[in-house]
Amino acid sequence: MTEEHEFKVAVLPCNGIGRVVSTVVRLAGYRIKELRPEQVELVASGRLIVKDPQELARFTKYPLLVIDGCRPHCASFLASELGKQPAAHIYVADIAAANQISIAGEKRRGLTDKGKKLVEALAQKAVEEIDRIVADEMLSTL
Amino acid sequence: MADKVCLQPCLGLRKAAILGRQALYVAHEDLRPETTVLGCGPALNADVQEDVDFISMYPVLAVEACELDCATRLIDKKGKAAAQTLRVTEIAKDLGIDIEALPEHHLETDHPAVQALAKHIAGQVDALLAAA
Repeated sequence: MTEEHEFKVAVLPCNGIGRVVSTVVRLAGYRIKELRPEQVELVASGRLIVKDPQELARFTKYPLLVIDGCRPHCASFLASELGKQPAAHIYVADIAAANQISIAGEKRRGLTDKGKKLVEALAQKAVEEIDRIVADEMLSTL
Repeated sequence: MADKVCLQPCLGLRKAAILGRQALYVAHEDLRPETTVLGCGPALNADVQEDVDFISMYPVLAVEACELDCATRLIDKKGKAAAQTLRVTEIAKDLGIDIEALPEHHLETDHPAVQALAKHIAGQVDALLAAA
């Protein structure tokens, strides 16, 4: 497959630190990469914030999936600040509600099985979106 | 005179960044809960008021995982300057921590490397407050 037909998705998790959902999003990022190693470019929010050229290149090159952990939607803000419209967006509260998962009592420094269940649900939703984006990109080349 | 220090991590994805992140939870929650606040980079970038207040009110101790110094540069971007920048890779070397030998993606906070780094960071917090 030539580079011009490299069907990948840049995944931007907020990767915050302040809340339990920050940890959920961070771990989901790794899980998404495990599930779709060939299709996913995991992008670091910190590097993008300071416009690291390598990170910016990966962010710019591929369609973007944004994952926001909490209400300020910081990853979406960052994408918007850099002038990129995401191909898809996931908000953790939507996944928790859709799957009836409560993470009350979880700690941001490390998750129990309850928190890990939300990580998995989030990763599965992300993979659905990634497969859809990749299919859309492929079909648009035919 | 400042009574707290804002801990500002780089929040990268690699092993050194994970070590730094976990050590900051320990430093903030266990070792220096009364004298630290924990700043969130993406939130500060998005001008979340709490995080803007943190860097306005308190000296910032930036904890970096690589030479890009993203946390320090974010503070600059917001018109302030970090009071001090610590590099996890350099401290790890001094503390005898082999970062490459650490597990990928997550470290428990009771891991000896996390505890050692957290203690070092807590010492730097004390020094910053004493100098303030």
